[in-house]
Amino acid sequence: MADPLEKLLQNPRLWRGREQTNTSTWQGLPSGYPKLDRHLPGGGWPQHALTEILLEHYGMGELQLLMPALARLSTPEDHELSDEAGWIAWIAPPFQPYPPALLQWGINLSRVLIVRPRQESETLWSAEQALSSGNCAAVLMWLDTMDDYSSRRLQLAAEKGQSWAIAFRPLAALSKASAAALRIQLMPGEKGTDLGILKSRGGRPAVLRNYAD
Amino acid sequence: MPTSDKSPVILRDTAPTPSATPARLEPTQQSFALVAKPARRLWLCIYLPGLPLQALNDKNDHEAVAVFEDEKGMRRILLADKKARAAAVVPGLAVNAALALLPTLCLKERSPRRERQALQALASWAEQFTSFVSIEAPNILLLEIAGSLQLFGGLAPLRQQIVTGLKTLGFSALVSIAPTPLASTWLAKAGRSVSILTPADLTGALSKLPIRCLDWPDSVNESLNGMGITHVGDALRLPREGFARRFGTGRLTELDRALGRLPDPRQSYRAPERFCSEYELSEEQSASDLLLNVCQELLIELERFLLTRQLSVQRVLFSFFHLKESATHLTLGSMRAGRSIDHWFELLKIKFDQLGLAAPVITIRLRSGQSQLLTASTDQFNFGDTGRRQGEPIAHLVERISARIGDKSIHGVTTVAEHRPQYAWSTKDLEQTPNCAAVPMSRRPLWLLPEPRPLPVEQHAPMYQGALKLLDRPERLETGWWDGDGIARDYYVAVNPAGIHVWVYQDRRSDHDWYLHGIFG
Repeated sequence: MADPLEKLLQNPRLWRGREQTNTSTWQGLPSGYPKLDRHLPGGGWPQHALTEILLEHYGMGELQLLMPALARLSTPEDHELSDEAGWIAWIAPPFQPYPPALLQWGINLSRVLIVRPRQESETLWSAEQALSSGNCAAVLMWLDTMDDYSSRRLQLAAEKGQSWAIAFRPLAALSKASAAALRIQLMPGEKGTDLGILKSRGGRPAVLRNYAD
Repeated sequence: MPTSDKSPVILRDTAPTPSATPARLEPTQQSFALVAKPARRLWLCIYLPGLPLQALNDKNDHEAVAVFEDEKGMRRILLADKKARAAAVVPGLAVNAALALLPTLCLKERSPRRERQALQALASWAEQFTSFVSIEAPNILLLEIAGSLQLFGGLAPLRQQIVTGLKTLGFSALVSIAPTPLASTWLAKAGRSVSILTPADLTGALSKLPIRCLDWPDSVNESLNGMGITHVGDALRLPREGFARRFGTGRLTELDRALGRLPDPRQSYRAPERFCSEYELSEEQSASDLLLNVCQELLIELERFLLTRQLSVQRVLFSFFHLKESATHLTLGSMRAGRSIDHWFELLKIKFDQLGLAAPVITIRLRSGQSQLLTASTDQFNFGDTGRRQGEPIAHLVERISARIGDKSIHGVTTVAEHRPQYAWSTKDLEQTPNCAAVPMSRRPLWLLPEPRPLPVEQHAPMYQGALKLLDRPERLETGWWDGDGIARDYYVAVNPAGIHVWVYQDRRSDHDWYLHGIFG
């Protein structure tokens, strides 16, 4: 009896209140922001899962938040792992991702893939395809409306393709349920952008003042 | 010193003048010509006298079967199987007489089309033994086997393999081998299952053949008979000139070719390189699940076709035929030539949803586009360097997405060596390697606006969701005057009250207006 129980407790999906789960089996992707890493279970972004970033306006540092991790994914430091370098898909970005800036952040441009669907249903479909194909290390998508069902599909696709799904959503989505492993809210703060962890699988909600500090 | 070494030296000594050089070259050329002479050929003839019957064979072992032919209104037995022959049904018998002899006789009309198809199928089958198979209508296959002997362990094993293979396929054949195509054909038609390996033995072997095996017109045979000439050997003894005058140079040429005195080129059979297959439904169907299943069957067939030929295709065409409407066509293309059907099926499913068939479907046809030789490197084809992990090639993902939302909707990006921010990047095809121009020294925003947006100004400060605070000193960009699209701008990094960092500029050409060009994100 003890064995299945132990197994269950190891599962990062199990919410155990204030008690932190054993992080040995749960390796996060370092975000490049030490302050944030300390609050994320596994010491980084949840890989192979859906992360939601909620924000009021574009430009609140939502891309800078991801850049160090994306740079790592597109150009692994370890040369032997060069096969691991995955594609980074941008699906329905609101503006043009600017390649000179991407280079400045260390993104490998040969691994950048931009998709411009005509409607939101196509955005979801493309994201699901990209996630489950196993080609993409990360899939960034901008969605105005997404229901619980779609978020569950994205979460499953991310698990299947071992890919990191990142959905940018308006603040209005706050009240809606979501299957995301991690939900983050970005807010303007006194010194910089504040980051609120609303939901974190295996972790605890928290508010980080000026996360980049 | 061996004397043989000395003799050429002596030759040179006796003819030391330059004029003798061409004379000395001559023998070398000759010996070279000897080497370059066409390699010895060996022809294996498969003669299928029972083809009209066996081409129609449907594995019916119980009844006696005979094939009849309509000849000027008279239906006569052309060929009969063993059981029919036992009941005295022989070729040439009228159909009615045959039925009187054997009322249970299963009669079939001869089908030249089926015979042709059977012969082509056999030619494809025979390509496993040699690269050169020639169809000699109506019932003969010629295989050039000199190059295959070593691979198949010699003549006897190869011959054995062909004979047993034919038997398994349900064809009774006469097989003979000779150095010329005609000689092997004549030997097979005469029923001599022999193997003649050298041209020197040809005359002896052919001499014993009766003239009638040569398929010459009856008139020629009769006049030869009248002269007392019944065998090929007799004909060979006649004076050539007289023979040519009486029976035409064509006959003489044939004899010369059979004996290997004249070349006798043949045309190699080439299997069709395009795939075309149809599936006829028993009744009209519109259920997409069922139709897709049929399409998958066709694709599996295509895969098998490509696999045996080491080919790949980049384009396939599905045609859906309706009873009353004109056919619906659906072309699928792939940038990556492949033969794995999974990807084609994925693409088909996406396109099929958008197709909207006008009417129920009665027949589905699949045709392949131009096929090309599959090279090993296409398997490793990908963009830039190796693909990631267990995943399929990225091209498959790209094709699926562009199949659904359009070709232009998916692309990569690259930087361009250019100081004007709006020209410092471009889209690119995904397979192109990006041009990594030098990274600009000063900070660039992650978001670029498609067009600079004019900003309102209040109390000398530009506004973007509140007054902007300029950080740092400006970056002056003044360039591009040579192509009429020059800029003169001071770029600033600015921050608004909500903490959004933006990239703004003041146009130094016009009235020093402010514009928003990027967001740092």
